[in-house]
Amino acid sequence: MASRLKRTLLNPISYILPDSGGNFITRLFSKSLQEELFGKITDKFLEILLYGMDFGFCISKGFRKNILVPAGCKQGENFKGRYLFMTADNLVSASAVFNDGNMTVYKEEIADWNVRITFKNAAALRAFLFSKNQDILNSLLANEVEVDGNLNYIYKFGFMARDLSRRLGVG
Amino acid sequence: MPEITIKDLSLRDYNLTDRVKNLKSAYFRAMPEICIERPTLITRFHLENGLFDKERIFILDKAKAYRFTLENRTPVVRHDRSYEKGMVPFKIKDTSLFAGSTTGKFKGVPLYPEFLALALWPELWTITKRKNNPFYLSEEDAKELNYNIFPHWMENTIQELSRKKYHPNEMKTFERLVFFLASKPNCISHTLPDFSKAVKKGLRAVINEAKDRRGVAKDDSQRKFYSAIAEALEGIIAYSRNLSKKAQEMADKETDPVLKKELFDIAKINNRVPEFPAQTFREGLTTVWICWTAIHLENPNVGMSLGRLDQVLCDLYRYDIEKGVITIAEAIELICCLWLKIGDHVPTIPDAGEQLFGGTGSNQAITIGGVDKDGRDAVNDLTYIMLRATEIMQLRDPNLNARYYPGVSLKGYLKRLCEVNVNTGATPALHNDKAVIKALTSKGEGIEQARDYGVIGCVEPGSNGRAYGHTGAILLNLTSALDLTLFNGRHRHTGMDLLISKETGDPTKFNTFDEFKNAFAEQSRWLVEQSSALNNIFGRIHQDFYPTPVLSALFEGPMEKGKDVIQGGAVINSSGATIIGLADVADSLSAIQKVVFEERGISFAELLDALNKNFEGYEALQKRLMNPDKTPKYGNEEPAADENVRWIIDMLDKSFGEKENYRGGHYRVGYWTMTNHAGFGRLMKAMPNGRKAHENFTSGITPVSAVTPVLTKALNSIAKQPVQCLSNGVALNLKYTPENGKGRDKMLENFAASVRAYFDGADGEIDSGNGGMEIQFNITTHDTFADAVAHPEKYPELLVRVSGYTAYFKDLNPQMQKEIIDRTEYLLSSGRAVDFEPFPLRE
Repeated sequence: MASRLKRTLLNPISYILPDSGGNFITRLFSKSLQEELFGKITDKFLEILLYGMDFGFCISKGFRKNILVPAGCKQGENFKGRYLFMTADNLVSASAVFNDGNMTVYKEEIADWNVRITFKNAAALRAFLFSKNQDILNSLLANEVEVDGNLNYIYKFGFMARDLSRRLGVG
Repeated sequence: MPEITIKDLSLRDYNLTDRVKNLKSAYFRAMPEICIERPTLITRFHLENGLFDKERIFILDKAKAYRFTLENRTPVVRHDRSYEKGMVPFKIKDTSLFAGSTTGKFKGVPLYPEFLALALWPELWTITKRKNNPFYLSEEDAKELNYNIFPHWMENTIQELSRKKYHPNEMKTFERLVFFLASKPNCISHTLPDFSKAVKKGLRAVINEAKDRRGVAKDDSQRKFYSAIAEALEGIIAYSRNLSKKAQEMADKETDPVLKKELFDIAKINNRVPEFPAQTFREGLTTVWICWTAIHLENPNVGMSLGRLDQVLCDLYRYDIEKGVITIAEAIELICCLWLKIGDHVPTIPDAGEQLFGGTGSNQAITIGGVDKDGRDAVNDLTYIMLRATEIMQLRDPNLNARYYPGVSLKGYLKRLCEVNVNTGATPALHNDKAVIKALTSKGEGIEQARDYGVIGCVEPGSNGRAYGHTGAILLNLTSALDLTLFNGRHRHTGMDLLISKETGDPTKFNTFDEFKNAFAEQSRWLVEQSSALNNIFGRIHQDFYPTPVLSALFEGPMEKGKDVIQGGAVINSSGATIIGLADVADSLSAIQKVVFEERGISFAELLDALNKNFEGYEALQKRLMNPDKTPKYGNEEPAADENVRWIIDMLDKSFGEKENYRGGHYRVGYWTMTNHAGFGRLMKAMPNGRKAHENFTSGITPVSAVTPVLTKALNSIAKQPVQCLSNGVALNLKYTPENGKGRDKMLENFAASVRAYFDGADGEIDSGNGGMEIQFNITTHDTFADAVAHPEKYPELLVRVSGYTAYFKDLNPQMQKEIIDRTEYLLSSGRAVDFEPFPLRE
């Protein structure tokens, strides 16, 4: 509901803003995410990241392009993807669902996921998605993150997360 | 035996021409650039023809896709710019004698979204600036990949299609990365086409043959296959003609008479070949080159190899020399230009892949020398021309491999091979024909087929253009089998709570070494089963979605059978596995045998405790385990230690050999590790041979570093191993101290003598067919390597042998650099190892 309300309010604004304006507003309202990316990491990292992405998709049309059919493309559809994130001890779980050009965040597990990411802790997840000298395979090598399902969804998510951090000026 | 007409086998009067110097300089200056032309065209074709929606993609559809791509790719005759360090553009004066390139870039990174290109997705914004081996990618191209190319392949990569269709349990073991790697999600490669038909008959003749066969085909599948061959080859011809047209246009506008003529020559040659039979040496080389680029359009180049080019092109060379069409200097210049072209692309490797494969080229092996199908010496003038070109170019690609047949090849040839090794520091690798031919015939190959082997990728032998072997299909980490044995089916990397394989017993309760060995064999067989089953699943997905018409057209068998190579069309249909960690595991078994079970010096529980503590508090034990005087080590002619190696090799050959692959052939086993012995080493904990956690494993079939002080003993231990169980090739990595000045001639003599002794085997009988299979060298001092670590800018071209292939030392990751520096170094004049302290690992 909150997501839908947010989209209803923010999407129209994004269309009249230049891409840089969308990035600026995202940056303005994502201080906590920037802190999580830059500084000390907390258990809230995943939640903050997902909501940060959700906000970015609403307000930045450039960022939103990641989940839309490319302009001029006659085939294909908006990105559809169901992600489940959880810790190995099952204490933290969250889900992100992409559908019809929107992202919806859930604080609980979803079924029928395309990919499930089980991570040791918040720091491992941050390293998995953002660390400068690491990439996704590297985290798998370090055995800190386990992925079930379609790895390509993780690669796409990894790009989107880094694209957001770039727009926030921390990438 | 072909007559050698070259007087001075070293051809020392022939050096780099200005043309080659300039091209080489630009080559080393250029950073690799990601090229999106192929994925753009392939994706477009798949979209426009609904291939993403198909349950299965037939070979004719795929052939049409390749024809479309070949016809529509940009014909680049001359590159005019590239990017140097810091990604600053610079201009190139490209005067190569060959037109065309693997990608649209001077030094390109081709992308294959069907395979692993999507792994680069998270790095699109950062890949230009990454620490290890950065690739230039423009922002515009990054966006194109993100928005318009990659999304279409998310459900259509080989790995995902395999997962979706078969839900294999083995995939989980594979994705844990510490047990084995399977390379089919990345390619159908590591194989060896034959260019004889293309060179001698021309592709038009092959098309006509395909059309004739289509007329009498027995079913629709065969008809589609023959049509596909014709489609794919028409694409190759079209590409060459487009290059010809472009060269003609450029020649028309060129005002410099020399450059104008060169462009006219290219236009003329590319208009003729590869469509028609090559009439000159240069046309023959052009045919090989154009076909080579087409092969890479179909498949990523991971160890795709060019075979016996000195045999394929020898007649054309001799004819041209005799008729005065070319000179030796011109022939060497042509080869140098081709060598640079062959190295015009680098593999797509994500950042983590750099940890396992960092610094690798594409491992494009070329084979020279050896014997012909009748067993006669086949070394010819062109063999020496190629050696000289390799010596003066010092490039990592192509990876030159020289065959030597004891008792048949001439002495001067071996000495020359050793000399080139000394002068380049690392190439060519040397192969013992007798042992290799015995290994291949023991797997059922005919003697003529075996005699006509070429080297694939790193060191793997395969009958030229007949054996479709995918020799690098499986890379198995044997140390994981040991870990599973030590911890009763668990693995320290994945945690003690998780049962990975099966429980083979608590080793603390074993009473005899045999019980432990049996448990280890069982865990090894489990890994063999997992890896071969998954490889077969990937193979079947390739059959359904990734037919290979271009490769099939250049193989013996598919045309006769009317069947793609990946469907079993080739004459020989094996699959290859290579083993990582042989020496470390064998020495660990020997340590357990001696210290735990024979001497009862410590209990198994104490050993496990020492391993879990990485020998902290057990320093004396670790020292003892490392000491070759107290614990038997492979490579010292110690019967117990060498027997453990033999037992492992035999057990793995049997375990893999009984597995049938998806094409009806069987698996073969080899011991070459590329950089995986460093990569896997980084992940693995302490081992019973005294190796501490995260240290490198030993490469290939080489004994562990610093425990084999006497060269002849090391060579004898290795030469004793049963070649019939090593049919997928071995890499023996040795380091010799270069001796210059007065000692140089003596060193060369000792060098050649050491190779001869190793190839003859410990029994000294050259007719036994035993003896070592392969040997390769680094001839660079410890101090030079140390200096190259401190000042990489001083050594941009320092070439090293890794474990199979050659690489530039500067491109290797720190762990791999350390591994090479720490290898046992022998001084040939004394035959003993040189003392030095282990090199510290840089962060």
